[in-house]
This record gives sequence, C-alpha cells and structure tokens, in this order.
Amino acid sequence: MGLKVELAQIRPKLGDVKYNLEKHQEIISSSSADCIIFPELSLTGYILRDLVYEVYNESEKAIEKLSEENKCIIAGLVKEIRPGILRNTAAIIINHQINYIYKFYLPTYGLFEERRYFQPGDPKRDLKIFEYKGVKFGVIICEDAWHYEPIEALALLGADSIFIPAASPMRRLSTRLGIQDNWEALLKAHSIINGIWTIFVNNVGSQEEEFFWGGSMVVSPNGEVINRAKLFEEDIIITEINLDEVRKNRFFSSFREHNRDFHDVLRSL
Amino acid sequence: MPEYVRKKLTLDFGQVTDYIVRRIREYIEESKKEGGIIGLSGGIDSSVTTILLSRATNNFYILLMPTSSTPQKDIEDAMKIIKIVNGENKYSYINIDEIINEFSSIVNISDKIVIGNIKARVRMTLLYAFAQKMNYLVIGTGDKSEIMLGYFTKYGDGGVDVLPIGDLYKTQVRMLGNYLGVPEEIVKKPPSPALWEGQTAEGEIGLDYETIDSILYLKFEEMREPEEIAEMTKTSYDKVIKIINMVKTSQHKRLPPEIFRLSGRAINSDWRYPRQWG
Repeated sequence: MGLKVELAQIRPKLGDVKYNLEKHQEIISSSSADCIIFPELSLTGYILRDLVYEVYNESEKAIEKLSEENKCIIAGLVKEIRPGILRNTAAIIINHQINYIYKFYLPTYGLFEERRYFQPGDPKRDLKIFEYKGVKFGVIICEDAWHYEPIEALALLGADSIFIPAASPMRRLSTRLGIQDNWEALLKAHSIINGIWTIFVNNVGSQEEEFFWGGSMVVSPNGEVINRAKLFEEDIIITEINLDEVRKNRFFSSFREHNRDFHDVLRSL
Repeated sequence: MPEYVRKKLTLDFGQVTDYIVRRIREYIEESKKEGGIIGLSGGIDSSVTTILLSRATNNFYILLMPTSSTPQKDIEDAMKIIKIVNGENKYSYINIDEIINEFSSIVNISDKIVIGNIKARVRMTLLYAFAQKMNYLVIGTGDKSEIMLGYFTKYGDGGVDVLPIGDLYKTQVRMLGNYLGVPEEIVKKPPSPALWEGQTAEGEIGLDYETIDSILYLKFEEMREPEEIAEMTKTSYDKVIKIINMVKTSQHKRLPPEIFRLSGRAINSDWRYPRQWG
C-alpha cells in the first residue's frame, strides 16, 4: 500500500496557457494515480523572457480550473505575490485546496535569467509540508535541488518524499548526457542522506534554443532509480511510493542524527 | 495619433541628433572600420540616416540602386539628399534591373513578393561588396515601426551592421527629418519599400503610420490592453489585434538564427560576450 504518483513529463507550448491547461486536464482526467506531478512552469513554459508579463495572470486562473479536479495535483505557474512581484511557483492542489510553494534559488548562470523576472521564496515563511493518503511530502523547484538545505529542511520537518518539478535543458551531450548524470547523482545523494523518495519531473521538448531532455525519474530512499521516463519525448510513468522503504532506510542510517551546530557555523560564515 | 501619444513620442531632437551622430562615429571606430556606406532610396528613413551618417564622418558613401519599379520621384528626392550632404562625389547609381532579371529567370518565377525580396537582397549584396572594398560598415536605415512589424526583408534591408534609427518610430523619424531640414515632400511622402509598383506600407498594412505607432507604443511600451488601445486610437479592436499579431509572428526576423544546443556552452544561449570584446 502506498501512494501512486504519476510523473507527467510534458512538452508545454511556450506562452500558450490555454493549450497547456487542456493538456493538464486531459492527463488528469485519464489518470489512475493519486498524485499527478507536472514539470516546472508547466502551464506557461519555461523560456518565457518578457512574455512572462503577458501570461502570469492566465496561469493563475488555470490553477483555479485545475482545482476543480478531485486529486492531488502539482503544476507550475507564475504567481503574482504583490502587484508587480512575480514568483516561479508550484501549486499543490489537494482536494480542491490550493497551496503554493516558491522557488528559493533562482539561477542566473549560463542561459538562466530568472532573477530578471522573479523574486525568490523566503525559507522562513515558505517551507511547507503536505500530506496525502498518509504520505508526507515537500515540493521544491528545480535549482533548489542543487543545494542541500531545502530538501534537508523539508525532510527534518517531516517529509518522507520530495517532489521536484524541473525545467532542465539539454547540456553537455558527449558519450552520455552530462546533465542527466548530474541529476541522477544529486537525487541519489538527497535520497540516501535523508532517507526519502525523490521524484524528479522534467519538461521535454524545445523552447527557443533550449531543449528539455525529459528523463524524469523516481529514486528510492535506498538510492536506486526505480522508474524512468523516456528521454527527449513526452512520457507518463506511474510509480507507487511507500513508507516502508523510508522506514527501512532510516533504521540503518544516521538520518536521525542532526547536529545543529553545523548550521550555526554556516550562519556565521 | 492621440495627443497623449504624440507628447510621449516628441523628443528633444537636437539631443537625439547629437547622440546618434556620436554613436555612429564611435561604432565605426570600435569596429575598426574607416567609414559607412548606405543605400539611399529617397524615402524618409534613408534620407534621415544619410544626413546623420554624413554628420558622423566624412567617410560616407551612398548607393542608389533603383529598378524599373522605383518611382522617378524617389530618385529625384535621393539626389536632393545627396546635395544636402555634399555627396556629389560620394555616390554610385546602379540600376539593378538586369541582375534581378537574371535571378528571376534562374529561379523561374514572376511572383512580385519573391522578386521584391530578391531586390532587397541584391541591394544588401552590393552594399556589402562596396563596404568591404572600402573598409566601411553598412549603415542600416530601418526604423522601430518597421522592425517591430517585421516589415523588412530578412537579409535584405534587414541585413546591415548597425541600425542608428532603429529605436525611433516612423512618426519620430519624420519629426527628426523636419528637424534636420529634410525637404517636406520627402517627410510627407507615404512610406514605401517600392519592391513593386504602387506598393505602400500603409496600403499593405491597412493603417496609417500615426495609428500604427500609437498602437505599438501603447501596447509594447505601456503594456495596455487591446480594448483600451482601440478606444484611445479610435481604431477597431481587430486592427489593433492585427498589429499586435504582426509583431508576434515576426519575432523570428529580429533574432539571430537559432542554434540548437548540445554542449555546456552554446553560442548565444550560454556563451555571451559583448561586441566590444578584448
């Protein structure tokens, strides 16, 4: 007995909220899973540039539409927090209730320019744990998984599973896809250290000159990739995640040991 | 044009002139070139840009490249500008009909749009050939209205090294033209690419430039809603949407060709340097 999660690896159309919403609804209505997770900014597309100002409003309305569904749904939107202040947001819809989490780490290196458009989330206010069918989970967005603290904090706050909507573009294709190896290593490390399920749901397909590689995956608390979506094309995979794996892993790990003094050191750096 | 927009678009054209002239001069120096070459049609954009170029440097050169679809009046107007900038020894007159006919017969087509674009691209080719011969830059004449609408030929009149008046709407270019002493008949002439006989921009787009500029300004600089713009400009909602859609569907013409990304640092996407490099 566990929570059935569906990873909806979709190819959103950039700026076409109407099309993207219909795609969400179609997937949700035909799903047998408990919880359906869409990628980062799934309702708007990622490489929005200044188009962001034209679609944020519509994406908030689309979330309200999705909240009519009686499921657990995680979808990406741009939310206006205060007039003119936008955040890269994931909506967590549970039984018609909408909650929001915001991206903490906004990438500005390489091709990324999120700070131009978004305000980051505030860890002191915006860390949240949700519960559905007995499983406690946290949600973080893409870049947040490239740092220890967001997942560590959520795990210590009680999350047994972390859902990671992402927009990871294709980079460093040589004999293997470098960025895929990086993500796999990151997820395994987070899972093993915290004794949690990590569930990575990536965008797929082209947006401007970027191409999102897909390859969504589920990593068990034991650090094994137990399910993978296809590379380079839309795909949907369903995985059942359970708390037994969390329990077994934590029995034989030092997750319970948490030395807060390290955080004092970090704070004083 | 609503009075509100006219006020917003009215600039200190003395300062605008000083600024653009200075920037042309600097840009030529920074590119390690010796001067600038320009195609002069006798329209407002190329007339204004030619005058600005002639103020930035003595090393300017002008090409007149008419075809049989070029109105005689345009050639006369171009000659007036050449006189204004004392360019009597700095221009070439090249009728490109023969080249165009050669191209058309090879492609085996008589479609006026295809041939019109060939004309623009032949002009670009000649400008670059002269520019390279003289170690000059190709000075573009596109204005903001045309660039936003996509009302130019990619690698034709869009194929240039720099666009000095590319941030001025057509209406503003006309105001600048008045300031610079461009003859009134050129300022008032209906803008036309003259790629085929009788072609005018306003006829093709279906709105006059004052209205087009108002819509562009209100939508893309003030981010107003189409309904409000229609009301402010006393234009139909459909026309406003038509203009907005022209801007949307022509975005690909304003950007460099897309490079599909593979590596850790792809050109443009993830590898960005200023022009003034090193």
